[in-house]
Amino acid sequence: MSSLAAAPPSLVGKDAPDFVLKARDGKNLRLSEFRGEVVLVNFWARWAGDSRKEMPALDRINTTYQRAGLVVLGVTVDDDVRRSDEFANSMGVSYPILFDLDGSTGRDYRIQKMPVSFLVDRAGVVRYTNVGFKRGDENAYLDEIRELLRE
Amino acid sequence: MNFNSRVVSITLHAGVLALLLAATSLAQSPAPPAESATAAPPAPEATSAAPAAAEAAPTTPPAAAADAPASESKTLDQEVQGLKKDVIELNKDLFVLEEELLFPANTQVAVFLSMDVGTFFALDSVTIKIDNKEVANHLYTAREADALLKGGVQRIYLGNQKVGKHELVAFFTGKGPIERDYRRGATLVFEKGVGAKYLELKITDRVPKHQPEFLVKDWE
Repeated sequence: MSSLAAAPPSLVGKDAPDFVLKARDGKNLRLSEFRGEVVLVNFWARWAGDSRKEMPALDRINTTYQRAGLVVLGVTVDDDVRRSDEFANSMGVSYPILFDLDGSTGRDYRIQKMPVSFLVDRAGVVRYTNVGFKRGDENAYLDEIRELLRE
Repeated sequence: MNFNSRVVSITLHAGVLALLLAATSLAQSPAPPAESATAAPPAPEATSAAPAAAEAAPTTPPAAAADAPASESKTLDQEVQGLKKDVIELNKDLFVLEEELLFPANTQVAVFLSMDVGTFFALDSVTIKIDNKEVANHLYTAREADALLKGGVQRIYLGNQKVGKHELVAFFTGKGPIERDYRRGATLVFEKGVGAKYLELKITDRVPKHQPEFLVKDWE
């Protein structure tokens, strides 16, 4: 779990900053409305190479664990909605993709690198963060998610 | 209640709370039960030495003595409940005080949003500009829009504006009839006086035209 330990600890243990963003299907989603479920918020960008590896892995995790109470939200900081939408389509992800067009949500989460993920527990507290995506990170996510789902 | 009297009232509340806390901590300390335990034995001694005197001087019956800790804990529970009530009161006073400090009545402007029926309009977002400056922007989730349709009223903006004339422009976006994207504006020029100003944005259905209607109402 080295990648998780190496992540910036700034938001860990604090309430996840709330946001409401427009999704690809036109719906507006608010993070705090998922209180009671474990939420994985993944910030990604088309130009971030690791996002190409991470998004299919997150989709697998989402498919397996969504019935157990996991919600995966992909947040793109690209301001080009059409191209981001095409990219998400090409990745074949089934979880909601949200557009942070003005970058305010990214700022709230103090994003410095892409991709970066935050695991939020059922009480709305950030419990783990992970910057980038490398081999083994998927298993680290699974360990943490299982632990949070058990709480 | 003016500002000074509110401060005095809050200080009094704080004093009462401190006293209650002290009382509670005393009640919870282990000393009192020990005292009652030592105080209890003399009663039987008195009855064995002088039964007549004991009969004459009523002593605490054993059942009542056993009830004492129960009634004590009941009193303690009542005190804790009272303390909780005081904390809530104090919190309310602090909230009101904070609002009065941040948004004094002579500059306060509040804008509320309500929806009536909503058959012809599915709300997506509202942007409010006052004097051409964006002061509020809200994206509505399905749950929030539902709450508005059920009669909820949202305070979408609370801020300070100078006394005088101001122009409020509200932009509403959403889905109109036949799922079409809909964007409408509503404008109101209002006069900010010395008291707080309350404005209401109201979305209603204009049934004869099968269109939504956007109103801005000035609450005097």
